[in-house]
Amino acid sequence: MKQKIIIISAIILLLTLVAFMVKDFFFSKPDNTNPYKFELDDLRKGDTAKAVFTETLQFKTGLEEIHGIAIDLENQIYVAGKEGVEIFNSAGKTLYKINTRSTPQSISVNGNGYILLGIQDHIEIWNRDGKQIARWNSCGPEAVITSIAVQGNNVFAADAGQKVVYRYDKQGKLLNKIGLKDPATSVPGFIIPSPYFDLGISKDGNLWVVNPGRHSFEKYTFDGALLISWSKASMAMEGFCGCCNPSNFAFLNDSLFVTSEKGIERVKIYNTDGTFMAIVATPYQFEAGTKGLDLAVDKQNRILVLDPVKKLIRIFQQK
Amino acid sequence: MKKTLAIVFLVFLFAVQFMNSYAIQRFPKPEFESGYVQPETLLPNPRAEMLAILDIAVLIISLSVVSWLVIKKRNRNAVFWMSVFALAYFGFYREGCVCSIGSIQNVTLAIFDTSYLIPLSAIIFFMAPLVYTAFFGRTFCAAVCPFGAIQDLVAFSPQKLGSRLNAVLGVIPYIYLGLAVLYAATGTDFIICRYDPFVGIWRLDASFGMFIFGGILLVVGIFIARPYCRFLCPYGVLLNWTSRFSRKHITITPAECIQCRLCENSCPYDAIEMPVTTKNPEDKGTMARKLIFITILIPILMLAGGWVGSRLHEPLASVNAKVRLAKQILNPVTEKNQPETFEIEAFKSAGKQQSQAFAEASVVLHKFYIGSWILGGFIGLVFGGLIAGRMMTKHRTDYTPNKGTCLSCVRCVDYCPVKLPK
Ligand code: SF4
Ligand code: SF4
Repeated sequence: MKQKIIIISAIILLLTLVAFMVKDFFFSKPDNTNPYKFELDDLRKGDTAKAVFTETLQFKTGLEEIHGIAIDLENQIYVAGKEGVEIFNSAGKTLYKINTRSTPQSISVNGNGYILLGIQDHIEIWNRDGKQIARWNSCGPEAVITSIAVQGNNVFAADAGQKVVYRYDKQGKLLNKIGLKDPATSVPGFIIPSPYFDLGISKDGNLWVVNPGRHSFEKYTFDGALLISWSKASMAMEGFCGCCNPSNFAFLNDSLFVTSEKGIERVKIYNTDGTFMAIVATPYQFEAGTKGLDLAVDKQNRILVLDPVKKLIRIFQQK
Repeated sequence: MKKTLAIVFLVFLFAVQFMNSYAIQRFPKPEFESGYVQPETLLPNPRAEMLAILDIAVLIISLSVVSWLVIKKRNRNAVFWMSVFALAYFGFYREGCVCSIGSIQNVTLAIFDTSYLIPLSAIIFFMAPLVYTAFFGRTFCAAVCPFGAIQDLVAFSPQKLGSRLNAVLGVIPYIYLGLAVLYAATGTDFIICRYDPFVGIWRLDASFGMFIFGGILLVVGIFIARPYCRFLCPYGVLLNWTSRFSRKHITITPAECIQCRLCENSCPYDAIEMPVTTKNPEDKGTMARKLIFITILIPILMLAGGWVGSRLHEPLASVNAKVRLAKQILNPVTEKNQPETFEIEAFKSAGKQQSQAFAEASVVLHKFYIGSWILGGFIGLVFGGLIAGRMMTKHRTDYTPNKGTCLSCVRCVDYCPVKLPK
């Protein structure tokens, strides 16, 4: 009896294997996915407990393309895009439209309400009435100014083309360069494989620059001495991955970092020492392939995300 | 001792396989400026010709040694250690490639596709075991084939299946062989390799599905000795046919069978045939009637099989890449959120015309139509042979190994009390 059971079970198993072969060969659906594609889906998922932000407002701009976003002291929103700048109030209502003829890639606003635009290899200064105030010298034939920040009398510009940060005075005089590789002072040099290179001034007045190829943030003195840095290279939600990330960042009012990435499109918050704190927006909220999610933070600590694919300004607030 | 060795070996194998099944993908962070120099992309060199010749030499030497051990020495222990060597060399060192079983497909493809350049080693791995079998029986299966060797290691508690069950399950390898030839001849797939249960074990990199497949086969092999050899192996079919006509073959007894019945249950593969002593031999009339019946039945079964096969040629062809592409072009996936299939994407980017894809598919379909007739006819013939075999009464006086199904393992020899004087 026992022997019979053993034989029957073994034969059933054997026939199951034959059935598996038949099913697998004839009836399994062909795999439609590209076998050579790098699958990022699992990496798009994050801890829902960390998703403490919600999108509270979004508005369109009248610009054909959008590249940069900034906030002034009156909480007005400046968006730089194709051949112009559009200015909105904090509710997203258009206040001004400026035609700049050329297309700015980056934007900042100083305390006097002047608009600083990074246009390819140089900086231009405009006022709200659409008048060009100044045009600074070209930074070089390969320069691409991807970010501008103002602190007192200093203007900082990030040049992704030549992988360096410039420090100017208010009149556009170049004072010094920051971040050039120098083993003597332990400055590692910026690694920038794609034209996303951001910098910012923290609320306590320090200059921070992204070193995207190293997945790190570096804090410099205005003279170019490297003070500290933190880095977070990881495929998981907690870190930055790919060739070069984060692509953009901004500071919350309590000096926390808000970062955005490309490849796996997401916006997150980090503590000043690089501890991952929260998810602002997940990859599912963006079109796949969105790049250049520029960021700004207003007085109410709302996070403004420039979505260049949907051509929207999207505002996120803590739940 | 052998049993313990086998258990330790299997536990190790499964542990390694299990770890592999759960490996995850990751990629390193790129380096751009640390002085790292990208190495030149190198293509792996083809296997050195000398090593291919070494494989052939090892095959021929192994076949010769095992045949000598089986036919002349009748030494089970030595045969066992030769099978361990085969497992190590053809299994783990050569990672199951080139293998005689899979070489059926290379040979078929070479016959039907003149642009396919078949490696010499594939031809020799296909031919040599058959030639040796024609002379000495299935000595290749005894201790040269790594598939047989690994299954032999786990055959701890083989059960008798009975002749009917053996006969019915024994049809599967014929169907498998027919399909393997059809798919190789049409350039569709090498299904023997696709469903090679042990290659993942040789290479220690089985996918989870194939790991389970191979694992279950080995578990089944504890109770049904060598299940792959007996009920799946398509090359076994060719060896079985050839072995029936072998000039020499292992015998249980070295001299006269004394009908002691000691060997009756010694074969783990149910390959020993009992003596059949018919008390009332069939009269000539009955014999003639049976013969006429079989001669009529077999062509009918072949025709019916061929007809059924031809009706199935489209489903059979549906796994061919060209036919599948043409089908997808005709009925693009309309389901929401379903991306365009990878094949269509590739087809579009190659800038080919739709008509070209349809023309290629119809050539393949025609091949399948003819192939399915032949396959169906072949399966009809197999069933006919099965019925004929069961109808014809045999006459046997001794316990003898069935020349077709005996794997020349030499186990039964030790049970025979008749010994030749040294
Ligand atoms: S029957 Fe097939 S798998 Fe088994 S030993 Fe022979 S050739 Fe190898
Ligand atoms: S040699 Fe004997 S035991 Fe081995 S397969 Fe043949 S009949 Fe069976």
